[in-house]
Amino acid sequence: MSTLRDQFPSVVSGLAGTYLDNAAMTQIAGPVLSRMAVFETGGRSNVKRGIYPLAINATEAFDAARASVVRYLGATDTSGLIFTSNATAAINLVAHGVGAGLAAGDEIIIGEGEHHANIVPWQMLRDRQGVALKILPVDDAGYPMTDALDDLITPRTRLIAVTHASNVTGAVTDVHALVERAKGLVPDVRVLVDGAQMAPHGPLDVSALGCDFYVITGHKMFGPTGIGALWARTGVLDGMAPFMGGGEMIQRVTFDETLFAPPPHRFEAGTPPVTQAIGLGAAADFLYGQDWQEIRTQEQVLTSMLMERLAKHDRITVIGPGDNGRRLPILSFVVKGAHPHDLCELMGARNVALRGGHHCAQPLMDRLGVDATTRASLAIYTEQADINAFADALDHALGVLS
Amino acid sequence: MSGTDALYDARIKSLAAQADAIGPVEQADCRHEADNFLCGDRVSVELALDGDGVKDMGGKVRGCLLVQAAAALIKQAAPGLSRQEMEGGIRQAQALMTSGTAATGTWEGLNAFTPVHGLKHRHDCVLLPFEALKGCLDQAKSRSD
Repeated sequence: MSTLRDQFPSVVSGLAGTYLDNAAMTQIAGPVLSRMAVFETGGRSNVKRGIYPLAINATEAFDAARASVVRYLGATDTSGLIFTSNATAAINLVAHGVGAGLAAGDEIIIGEGEHHANIVPWQMLRDRQGVALKILPVDDAGYPMTDALDDLITPRTRLIAVTHASNVTGAVTDVHALVERAKGLVPDVRVLVDGAQMAPHGPLDVSALGCDFYVITGHKMFGPTGIGALWARTGVLDGMAPFMGGGEMIQRVTFDETLFAPPPHRFEAGTPPVTQAIGLGAAADFLYGQDWQEIRTQEQVLTSMLMERLAKHDRITVIGPGDNGRRLPILSFVVKGAHPHDLCELMGARNVALRGGHHCAQPLMDRLGVDATTRASLAIYTEQADINAFADALDHALGVLS
Repeated sequence: MSGTDALYDARIKSLAAQADAIGPVEQADCRHEADNFLCGDRVSVELALDGDGVKDMGGKVRGCLLVQAAAALIKQAAPGLSRQEMEGGIRQAQALMTSGTAATGTWEGLNAFTPVHGLKHRHDCVLLPFEALKGCLDQAKSRSD
């Protein structure tokens, strides 16, 4: 009988080793590879242009991919789904699009636990247009302190940008509560949610979250690199300025002026990454079809095992949520007297793939009082043997470094 | 001992343990901070100079074992060396990493890092304190010009 793990060629072959760096990039699923191969080997053509069968089929495959991603996000309106190159590009798109309508003195609130991708674009907007940047603090476990919004938000607050789940601690933000609180205080405020980490852990419901923007990326969803998406609530994109100009995003061009196409095409200048978009659609379909109750139970069991193994070492402190509550199977820890890079080097040599460093979240590191952490991040193909291999390699590394 | 384990041999660990003793230098003539943007490691180097010579080296070290060991090696070697000899140390560290060329003379201790030569992704760890040292020396030079 075929298992979920069997659907990942690099995992089944053993070439990926004990792969626990899924928060950085997941392995690609076989059905994703197959669908991209079908397009590349027998269906390749540009989209939205040709009227020959190959082009028509390519356009249909591209449109179907958009619909697949929209379904996975729990939305219905495909015009609200823009393909981007990754989540970072999606956030930058919003920073430019929304930012174009802001004035000096307007305010943006970002979370203290954000990835740099959800900090730097807003800093650049601040520096470009003189908007004020405010920080929503996180608590000691890394959860955003939603209550603090009461003091931060003002009628000049235009947008709040927060992660759905931390790439460092695995802490999951209660987005619904945050949105409800924010919009209760300032109804017109936009809320952008960085879903890069959350999206690989089951179908979403952006409508229930209540946010205005949600961003995802393919390479963390068992899909290809070079593709991500921005979802926007219906109507939000209507007045938004395009980020990049070029072909595909126009209705009519003269030397005097350009009339832009309606969303989503207004935000997809140039030939899109067709193969990658089809791959992202395939990844969304693949994930949509899984038994998530079973997967989540397994993720919790493995996360608990991982925490138990770490707790055996007095020198180790887990950074972030100490329990299995509102969290993803992403676990950061520090070891007294052992730097994350040294641990990752030694464990990597034993074929255990981990990430050490600041994880592109330096302000969060500062908040949590650490320079860097070692991070193990699990995915749907992680099994007990991986946790055992991790624990053995950790014992060995700590022995070498003692 | 595997190739990677060899990185962490007694010489490196013993050097790294000495990094704890690196602290601020009283009346430093120059100070420079270098960052490894990939991992967030940071080393600042301060030098107290006496004419062309180094009286003392200090600073702050935040980094992995290799960063600590390299910083400690500089601390050990620096007192009494001329600027040219310090610059020679930087060149020897770079050569050891890029081409595996063994260090000689005052900087022979660098050869403890020979196993790192084959691990390109760790070169920056060894070179980070030397990058900070170079910035510090450049600063001192520009002030004296």
